[in-house]
Amino acid sequence: MIKAKRKTGLIFFPAYDWEITPSHPERQERLLYTQDQVMEEGLLDIEGVREFKAGLATTDDINRAHFCVPDAASRITPSHNVSAGGCIEAARLVLEGVVDNAFALVRPPGHHAMRVVHGARGFCNINIEAVMVEWVRKNYPKIKKIAIVDTDCHHGDGTQDIYWHDPNVLYISLHQDGRTLYPGSGFPEESGGPSAQGLTLNVPLPPRTSDEGMLHVMEHLILPVIHDFKPDLIINSAGQDNHYSDPITNMSFTAGGYARLNDMLSPDICVLEGGYSIEAALPYVNTGIILALAGVDYSYVKEPDLDPAAIKEDPRIIEYIKRLSDKLLEMWYDRERHKKPDRPYVERSRNIFYDTDGISENQKEVIKICNDCPGVFRVDSSASTGYYILGIHLPWGACNACREQAQEWFDYPDDNYYAVYLQDMDRDEYTVNIL
Amino acid sequence: MILGIDIGGTHTDAVCINEKDIVATAKAVTGNDLVSSILEVVRALGIDYSAISRVVLSTTLSTNAIIEKKYAPTGMIVSAGPGIDPRHYFLTDDFYLVDGAIDHRGREYIPVRDDQVRGVAGELKGKGITGVGIVSKFSVRNSSHETMIRSLIDSDFQNISMGHAMSGSLNFHRRLNTTYFNTAVMPVQVRFVESVRKALQELGIHCTMLFLKADGGTYSSSAADRLPVETILSGPAASMMGAVALCKDSVTTTLVLDVGGTTTDIGVLIGGIPILEPKGVNIRGLKTLVRGLKVVSVGAGGDSFVHLDGDAIRVGPQRQGPPAVMGGSDPTPMDAFAVLGEFDRGDKTRAFEAVSAIAEKLGREVDAVAREIISVMVHNIKEGALDFIDEVNRHPVYTIYEMLHPELVEPKQIMVIGGPARQLKPYIEEVFGLKCIVPDHAMVANALGAALARTTAQITMLADTQLRRLVCPELGIEEEVSRMLSLEDLKRMGEEAIRKNAAYLGLKDEIEISILEEQSFNMVRGFSTTGKNLRLKIQTRPGIIHEWSPQ
Repeated sequence: MIKAKRKTGLIFFPAYDWEITPSHPERQERLLYTQDQVMEEGLLDIEGVREFKAGLATTDDINRAHFCVPDAASRITPSHNVSAGGCIEAARLVLEGVVDNAFALVRPPGHHAMRVVHGARGFCNINIEAVMVEWVRKNYPKIKKIAIVDTDCHHGDGTQDIYWHDPNVLYISLHQDGRTLYPGSGFPEESGGPSAQGLTLNVPLPPRTSDEGMLHVMEHLILPVIHDFKPDLIINSAGQDNHYSDPITNMSFTAGGYARLNDMLSPDICVLEGGYSIEAALPYVNTGIILALAGVDYSYVKEPDLDPAAIKEDPRIIEYIKRLSDKLLEMWYDRERHKKPDRPYVERSRNIFYDTDGISENQKEVIKICNDCPGVFRVDSSASTGYYILGIHLPWGACNACREQAQEWFDYPDDNYYAVYLQDMDRDEYTVNIL
Repeated sequence: MILGIDIGGTHTDAVCINEKDIVATAKAVTGNDLVSSILEVVRALGIDYSAISRVVLSTTLSTNAIIEKKYAPTGMIVSAGPGIDPRHYFLTDDFYLVDGAIDHRGREYIPVRDDQVRGVAGELKGKGITGVGIVSKFSVRNSSHETMIRSLIDSDFQNISMGHAMSGSLNFHRRLNTTYFNTAVMPVQVRFVESVRKALQELGIHCTMLFLKADGGTYSSSAADRLPVETILSGPAASMMGAVALCKDSVTTTLVLDVGGTTTDIGVLIGGIPILEPKGVNIRGLKTLVRGLKVVSVGAGGDSFVHLDGDAIRVGPQRQGPPAVMGGSDPTPMDAFAVLGEFDRGDKTRAFEAVSAIAEKLGREVDAVAREIISVMVHNIKEGALDFIDEVNRHPVYTIYEMLHPELVEPKQIMVIGGPARQLKPYIEEVFGLKCIVPDHAMVANALGAALARTTAQITMLADTQLRRLVCPELGIEEEVSRMLSLEDLKRMGEEAIRKNAAYLGLKDEIEISILEEQSFNMVRGFSTTGKNLRLKIQTRPGIIHEWSPQ
């Protein structure tokens, strides 16, 4: 009989009746072998490990994190309600104290979904972590500071976008260098908007980085940063495509490495993201993560074909990673030296491509520089689908001046938009004006 | 005629039935020698033995052997490979770990070593062990390691059982426990069957002998010899099947309460069939793969200890002894019934004294206190029942369809069986706010359940058309299949396999197939479909034999 040191909740939702297309990697079969491994290892029989039923995220939950165009119902399928609902349930279990930590092993994933949603990007329609985080902030006001550590192999550009201006959410992404992999972003210079400078921390790792490199980053960068930030809640976006067997990436992490990472990080909540080596990686990585969360010995978990010598990094990779970690840690400690710009507004324009749905979007974002709150911002977004919208985000703790600015933008649209959306976090209101 | 015998911890009940009626019932005290208890109760029936065509036994034999550890030392040869360290699960020093590993799709990646297995067998023999269980991780996907080990040690031991034959379900740890217990109780069961058969023959009963399983089905004695572990915890199964037999309405979802002396067993019937524990039942605090009914026990029965906690009346959860009315020293719900004139046996003045002691402390009327005692007991049962239903409904689901169309279990009526069923009826109706049925023969529901339960079996069929492999662990089938195999083909093959192996599975009744689980996955590798992963669990429909149709 094995007893867990920590009570761990597992929300398993493999969505056995959902796929993007019949031969797409994000397929019905994706978590089948993981389920087999979890069942055969008897992980749910460990005293202290319990499985819970997923929930359903509502449209209101989704509208706290997104401007879905034209609306949430058009952009999602019920599978997204369940996978985001599974995350919310995981958070609820932890915050109500039913468990010490929880793992939402759900699909479809979400970390490429940005605040504005015209369609699916990188297999993601809505950002399931962001929907969860906003649900937590609404229901548990005592949770002020949140850290999201994204260990998916792809840069979580969606989560980065949603929290770009948020000084209370630290977003750290550890991923394969964007020069060699989708979505091609996630460089150290991308470090957060003017109100949240330094609170986006990107760690691009060279292809073939293995456990040693990753654990170096954990120990010498991520843990010190988290220790300094003192979050009330730690979330791991637990993508599993850094694994040496993943078919669409080039990294060399192992199941044991993932387990060790979670052991070091001790996240409150883990959320499955990508990972498409469904037979050779996911069953073992997930077993390792669950054991690590529960505080049970994971040292015997190992892939059948593991040959540590064959996947060991070149010493030059380790050298590079050491220098990168040092530089990024320095950037972190220097972040408070950055003053807010001495201008009333800061603007950025971008093109965003939705690879899964083949949509391209043009965005112009304007944030009000505010010394009393994180600052209201607006996004002008036009997509190749023909929609042109304005989204206005009034952040948590918005000041009166920002609130007035938001109302003015909302009441007097300055262009020929299809619709104007206003997201008011403190009042938990989502208002749409279809023009 | 069918003879049903339920050997419980305190009493052995027997019931003899024809197609329509209960012909005779009898009760005896269960002694140390179960065979003589059986003979005693059968003789007490006073029936014509020659007309008996079937005897069904529900016994505590294996359960007690396991709980009291009354079995010979049993060896285990285990192969696992990486994962959780299997040594965490070893129950005794007679568990041995050997090389060998199989992955989740049934592919071997570490072979078994003959010399190592022979060495372990030698050690076990040296310890004087005669029964050995063989278990490998993922043996339900590929049983070759277990069968290979068996072939190496077959001539060395009397009793051998293999993990894959226990159940087709995944769960290495439960497979270890199940195989260990099965091997351990094999000689106990075989000896018992032999002596019961002989004893019955001496009475002139020469007929089919069946055993009740934990899942509320029965199987032949030859199947019970092979898989005795399935008879554990058949007691609650007997009472639930009794409820099925006595419940004339098989449509309404029914909560079943079997009120005993110490505890009340709670179960639920959906469409006239009890629900199963999803992963397997627990015994001696250990988890197994034995398919069993989902039943929960709450510490509230007719003999529960009634006491005060401040001004609050508490009932149970423990039993201190018999009710005062029956010669005990402490008040119980039965004493409350006696005070209210609803229980006619024993010494009523003793009951009155016991209940008035409480009433005096509270400064209240004796009758009012008696009513409150029963009300508290029923509230305790209700609390247990609500938790039970809640747990059933919290069961995780894995498809969007089931998420969006939840089939919530919501009992619309209650059936009460067991000793104080009739007295409890009005209280239960009031506390639960549901219609309550107390059937005739509620006192012998267990023996009746055993007598009438159908023979059942379950098999698992898995096909991996990419590897072109088909396995059915319960029947030891491993064969090559066509790349084009469909779920429909697999269902047909499963049904044929059950019919062909009916005797081996212990089936006697007409076979009606029902599909418990079916799944079909396209296997996608590199953006193209390379095969199908097909999974089925097929059972013969459980329930009450068709011959029983009471008026």
